[in-house]
Amino acid sequence: MIEINQLTKTFTSQDGTPVHALGGVDLTVNDNEFLTLLGPSGCGKTTMLKMIAGLQGWDGGTITIDGKAVTGPGPDRSMVFQNFALLPWATVMDNVCFGLRLRGTERRAREERAQELIEMVGLSGFESKRPGELSGGMQQRVGIARALAVDPQILLMDEPFGAVDEQTRRLLQEELLSIWERNRLTVVFVTHSMEEAVLLGDRVVLMSARPGQISEIVEVPLARPRSSDVGGLERSREYTEITAHLWDQLRSMHSEHRAVEAVR
Amino acid sequence: MWEHLLASFRRIGVGVGCAIVLGPLVGFLMGRSRWVNSLTEPYLNFLRALPPLGYIGLLIVWFGIGDLSKYWLLFLAAFPPIAISTINGMRGIRADRIQAAESMGANSWQITTHVILPSTLPDILSGIRIATGFAWTTVVAAELNNGIPGIGGLAYVSGTQLQTALTIACIMVIGLCAVALDTALKYLAQLLVPWHGKAS
Ligand SMILES: Nc1ncnc2c1ncn2[C@@H]1O[C@H](COP(=O)(O)OP(=O)(O)OP(=O)(O)O)[C@@H](O)[C@H]1O
Ligand SMILES: [Mg+2]
Repeated sequence: MIEINQLTKTFTSQDGTPVHALGGVDLTVNDNEFLTLLGPSGCGKTTMLKMIAGLQGWDGGTITIDGKAVTGPGPDRSMVFQNFALLPWATVMDNVCFGLRLRGTERRAREERAQELIEMVGLSGFESKRPGELSGGMQQRVGIARALAVDPQILLMDEPFGAVDEQTRRLLQEELLSIWERNRLTVVFVTHSMEEAVLLGDRVVLMSARPGQISEIVEVPLARPRSSDVGGLERSREYTEITAHLWDQLRSMHSEHRAVEAVR
Repeated sequence: MWEHLLASFRRIGVGVGCAIVLGPLVGFLMGRSRWVNSLTEPYLNFLRALPPLGYIGLLIVWFGIGDLSKYWLLFLAAFPPIAISTINGMRGIRADRIQAAESMGANSWQITTHVILPSTLPDILSGIRIATGFAWTTVVAAELNNGIPGIGGLAYVSGTQLQTALTIACIMVIGLCAVALDTALKYLAQLLVPWHGKAS
């Protein structure tokens, strides 16, 4: 269980003005939960995810995982990046093996594990290709396999499908659902898309504009497993209602934000 | 001619070779630590701006008229481009790439060897290419004094003796060597860093 308490962070921008990125975030993520995080651009979603990953410090508040305070990266967590962040000189196999190699896992064992994952994300036959030879969707499949290779309990995903085309994105969503249904990790998934947030999440966390705070948490009552009938779900009344509600909330946030900017 | 060319090759090899060893090292330290960087960057830029012909006299006073001063000149010409390319390469590494490694538990040594070094390799190689080209353009300056045997020395001496044909031949040879070496280095780079210029 991830528990976030009164988390605050203020950056200093290049011209010296303070940027209040997070203004006291309280959030609990349950074990094996698929949590999606939605909010206007710049509200601190990436910042918060990196804090959970242990890649970024904060000013006030606490983050604990199963009661232990987060002080840095750990083997229980891994992260998937919007821009894939693969090693361009390494093959698909070596990219997927990377985390295990860093941990000193023996070659044969790590390649065996990587092979399983490469198959799981549908990249069999591409083991010896480099990222530059793959499409964006395939690169992100590598990113997901690489993150899973270290057997994390928590998968942190920062707009992982934001840089791939719509059709690929839909395929990847279905694949991610089916991976999660089989492995049951805790997932924190940042997205800009209301549809994606509802389709994937058990709960959708809505963050308000800077300084980022939790403004609402919406339970998604759609039945699981969802991977087998994504199309049906998207036509269901619950789905339509929740996405409409989320859009209402986001729209009012945007116009409020604009009003605040206008006063300034 | 061969004898002269070979002598010049050896000098460029030593000068550029030292720069290839020290350039990435210094560039790496400068890219790594803001402190080292602000301390040394002005000197590096200053050195880069100096015309080799201007300081060859000093080098001769310090290191004698023999080969040592010529090595120094070629080294000083080749060093800044390599160091500066290395720094630029390190600055250009995307934070995501390093964070991805960190999130998978890489310590700072592993980040250096597994992420930073391979990421800067393409820039180091292009720095070496620039430096080698630059060394050829300074070889005449380096061999101005006591530069025989040496293709640059020969070009200069034949010029003063009005052997125009020989001078032109020497310059042609220098130009051709520079182009050939550059092409070879370009292919070497393609061989060593085939991923460079591709996505991600
Ligand atoms: N290292 C930093 N230095 C200064 N400001 C920063 C830094 N990192 C983030 N910020 C600022 O903090 C705020 C939150 O950034 P963050 O990237 O977390 O937003 P986000 O919600 O992920 O936005 P997006 O949806 O556009 O990805 C932004 O205003 C950003 O400019
Ligand atoms: Mg973001």
